[in-house]
Amino acid sequence: MNKIANLWLGGLTGVLMTAAIYMTFVYVPTEADQGIVQRIFYFHVPCAWVAFGAFGLVAIAGIFYLWLGQPVWDDLGYAAAEIGMVFCTLVLVTGSIWAKPIWSTWWTWDSRLTTTLILWLLYGGYLMLRAMADDTPQVARFAAVIGIVAAADVPVVIVSVRLWRTIHPAVLVTRQGGHGLEDPRMVATLLVALAAFTALFLWLLMLRFATLRMRARLGAIARGLNLAQAAAGDL
Amino acid sequence: MRKDLRLELRGGESLVALVALSLLILVVMVFALDPAGGVRDAATAAGALWVALILAGVIGSSRVLLAERDNGCIRALIASPLDRGALYWAKLTAAFIFMAIAEAAAIVLMVLFFNLDFDWRLMRMAPVIALGALGFAALATLLAAITGRVRAGDMLLPLLAIPLFVPALIAGVKASGAALAGAPFAAIAQWLKILVAFDVLFVSAGSLLFEYVIGEE
Repeated sequence: MNKIANLWLGGLTGVLMTAAIYMTFVYVPTEADQGIVQRIFYFHVPCAWVAFGAFGLVAIAGIFYLWLGQPVWDDLGYAAAEIGMVFCTLVLVTGSIWAKPIWSTWWTWDSRLTTTLILWLLYGGYLMLRAMADDTPQVARFAAVIGIVAAADVPVVIVSVRLWRTIHPAVLVTRQGGHGLEDPRMVATLLVALAAFTALFLWLLMLRFATLRMRARLGAIARGLNLAQAAAGDL
Repeated sequence: MRKDLRLELRGGESLVALVALSLLILVVMVFALDPAGGVRDAATAAGALWVALILAGVIGSSRVLLAERDNGCIRALIASPLDRGALYWAKLTAAFIFMAIAEAAAIVLMVLFFNLDFDWRLMRMAPVIALGALGFAALATLLAAITGRVRAGDMLLPLLAIPLFVPALIAGVKASGAALAGAPFAAIAQWLKILVAFDVLFVSAGSLLFEYVIGEE
């Protein structure tokens, strides 16, 4: 792995995340209606953004793997799916913590909550497949197919669940056309938090991807050693 | 495909088992939901029917592909000059017919158990159930090719299939409930659109991706 890229990305993540935490807890004004709990929004939305981006990357990596057949795409998809799952879990948890005081319930079958839960279940299945199956090119193709099909399913899930029901607040784009964040400091905090979580995602992705590449190389070396041993035994 | 149908119809075992399974699931649903005698709740009946469709489909559909794996015929089929796309369509047709028959039986049982009437409203359910069965068959044909060749694949199939089937499930339950309650066609149309979109998506995804999962390793 590239050490310099690791240092840069890690340092950038550290700086941005410190700024995001400062802005969320100190800089940004408290929202008038919801009070202090609204501040979780600046972590909730970036987590959702990272989770959706990661799951999109799983599908793109899957398409490239089926097309080109290079193992790097498989490792990229695997790494993105794992990280996406972590952030998708965080979206559900932070959402629940917010919903308890505001909606006075941990969970409702609102359209965005339901869609996120379905996403969580879809990629949980994807990771179960990878955990249960061996590490072969055949299983890599299976995982790529599941990643593509899951992403293709998402728009239909969104439409059907939206028709089903919805009460989630539309913060970013309200029906009047403007956005729901009145104070420019709120917009600034959200943007910094988005940048911080994006950097964190890229950093984690690079680390996990490098680990998977190392594992693949280790596997190749071990196979080579076994072959050499077998050849030596024949002599 | 003919072989699959012939095998299933002649042996008849799995078809009987699938119908029996639908029956049992509906019985369980009646005990669980306890629709008080005389209360004709269309929404509950529709919900129970779709639970039966999903569970019977998950358990029954893997058989369609596993039949070849157990006796090694899948290798011969792949080696044969037969186009892999044709193999997909054959499997899909067999799974669809298989599920449609089981569903028809489940509808009759639903009417009896939930104290509904045999009338024109059941005809309105036919396109909903047919589209649902096609969507599930398309999904299961693709997924069974994967889970059939992975350790503990039987466990994996429902874990993958049920979340993917959610949009069709929502649309199917709503459309069936509306049809049974005698709602106008316009109320069903929006759900039918979702079912059609789901079917088009998964039939085309299945036919495109099937060759990648069926390849030998």
